[in-house]
Amino acid sequence: MTAARRHPPSLVRRLVIIHAVLSLAVLALGAVALSAYFRSEATSRFDDRLAQDLLNLVAGSSVDSDQDVDAPALTDERALRVYSGKYWEIGVAGGPSRLANASRSRSLWDAPDLALPPGGTAALAKSPGKPIFYDGMGPVKQPLRIAAEEVLLPGLAQPVIFLDAEDRSAIDHDIRTFETATGLSLVGLLAMLIVGVMLQVRVGLRPLFALRREVAAVRTGKTDRVGGDYPAELEPLASELNALVAHNQEVVERQRTHVGNLAHALKTPLSVMSAEAEARPGALAELVRRQADLMREQVDHHLRRARAAVRPQGGGERTAVAPVLEELSLTLERIFRDKPVEIDWRAPDDLYFLGERQDLQELAGNVMENACKWSRGRVRAEAATAGPGRLRVTIEDDGPGLAPANREEVLRRGARLDESAPGSGFGLSIVDELARAYGGGVALADSAMGGLKVQIELPSADA
Amino acid sequence: MRILIVEDDPDLARQLKAALADQGYAIDHAPDGEEAHFLGETEPYDAIVLDLGLPKIDGVTVLERWRRQGVATPVLILTARGAWSEKVAGFDAGADDYLTKPFHTEELLARLRALLRRSAGHAAPSLVCGALRLDPRAARAAVNGEPLRLTSLEYRLLHYLMMHQGRVISRTELVEHLYDQDFDRDSNTIEVFVGRLRKKIGPDRIETVRGLGYRLVALEGEAAQT
Repeated sequence: MTAARRHPPSLVRRLVIIHAVLSLAVLALGAVALSAYFRSEATSRFDDRLAQDLLNLVAGSSVDSDQDVDAPALTDERALRVYSGKYWEIGVAGGPSRLANASRSRSLWDAPDLALPPGGTAALAKSPGKPIFYDGMGPVKQPLRIAAEEVLLPGLAQPVIFLDAEDRSAIDHDIRTFETATGLSLVGLLAMLIVGVMLQVRVGLRPLFALRREVAAVRTGKTDRVGGDYPAELEPLASELNALVAHNQEVVERQRTHVGNLAHALKTPLSVMSAEAEARPGALAELVRRQADLMREQVDHHLRRARAAVRPQGGGERTAVAPVLEELSLTLERIFRDKPVEIDWRAPDDLYFLGERQDLQELAGNVMENACKWSRGRVRAEAATAGPGRLRVTIEDDGPGLAPANREEVLRRGARLDESAPGSGFGLSIVDELARAYGGGVALADSAMGGLKVQIELPSADA
Repeated sequence: MRILIVEDDPDLARQLKAALADQGYAIDHAPDGEEAHFLGETEPYDAIVLDLGLPKIDGVTVLERWRRQGVATPVLILTARGAWSEKVAGFDAGADDYLTKPFHTEELLARLRALLRRSAGHAAPSLVCGALRLDPRAARAAVNGEPLRLTSLEYRLLHYLMMHQGRVISRTELVEHLYDQDFDRDSNTIEVFVGRLRKKIGPDRIETVRGLGYRLVALEGEAAQT
């Protein structure tokens, strides 16, 4: 959970949470609205029936000669059973909240009078002939629905108030059942929606995951650009990524060109200076020549260092090893044609170096040239995998080899073992530097062929 | 001996001219790629010293054009560009030697002498097998006139097969010819080299005779290249 705290929530989680909260709100609202609607529908149906009963009650009532209201002889059977839940009451207004001269259904028995509507008799007087519906409490704590109406009966000047009530616990029960069922099914719906959105997000974001894998492939050098068709939302990102990769490569290339140009610009004047010095022997000429050599070394050294330093950001390229070894063998056999040197190179076709071609050429080229220089005519260059993500290039010669004591020195930066050897020093320190820039290294050992064995370890890319 | 110097730096060109003239060579100088290409194509030089960073047309392009047009004059590339990628590209374009600046004049002279000596070697009879042709003097081989890029081990194997074309040669015989020391004689060495040769000269020219060895044959209906 610490990871979740440090990073913003994942897109999947974010989308699912938003969706869940929204669904919950909408479903809760729906549930409330549905049950309110059901409640009002059920109540209104109940009220209709109550109004009907009230109407029957009114129609069945008559005024006798004593100006008393006679209740209908027979109304609902339930009105006869004590506390049955069906009650009525007929009377005249005897005050703001009580009836006078009331006749009551038998079912009311000894219970107190039915409640009058809120507002009492005055409220009824305001809407004569129209029933008012309201909730009340009956005997034995029955929840009642009551319809009340003020009616003018023929033969009686005073308006008569009719009350008809019925136990409403049946519809209350219906409403509760409905609410429970609705709530349960909505919870189920919510769960389904969340599962649905999780699927939807996973499937919907699949191109994003694919893009991530492709970017990883670019970084590890399996491909050089993000390809593939992406949805309209990701397409710009993919092309931006490609532009970034291209820009990176361009910057690397430009750096390299700049450094190369500088070196090129310096080397020709250096040639001129040392040639001029050679042509006019003397102390000054000797000095110029020595200094020119020193300058050349410096230029070479820093040129290579700059190239090695550019490397790690360059990233992403991969280079087949076999063609590079073949080219170098062909080239070196021509360079050392007068010796001559035979180079036996071996590399599997599906071996790839995770890095730039120029660098592999530089790494293997320097070591192979060195091997050719010291060999008695035979050089071996062999590349093979060396564990996951690693490869090893082994270069051996049949020359005099190198005493173990000198090996350390040879790898040391800028060291030159044999000042008089033709060409530019030993070159192994440069190789070591470059290999290290790639997270690899160089190891020296004795070769079974008699000479030196140089092993360069480098990162490899999957085929 | 007539030598063409292609160099755009006037000071260096002057020095080169002086140093080479001292050795008794006749010198022409071209300061840019266009003139160099024209001179190299029209004049019969014994050798060419070629700078790579040239105005108008760069050195590698000039060299490629010469080689495409059949100019076989030995070329020594003289350049500040010393990276292996550049050396490989130079040799690939058809260079015979490569010297990086700054250089010592004696070294250039020594390399030039070696170049001239090599190209003056005597003609030896070429070996022919169908469309395959091998020139032992230049140590070059070609199929249908198309030069093959062979390492010297590959060349040696092809040379041996061509000298004994039509005959079945055992693996042991080939290994013994290729290597003179025991430690190289692992069992699949020959397969590796035969495989590479087949890739370069065409798979059917070297037949595998099961249990016996290999045989180089001319393809049917193929006119011998003379």
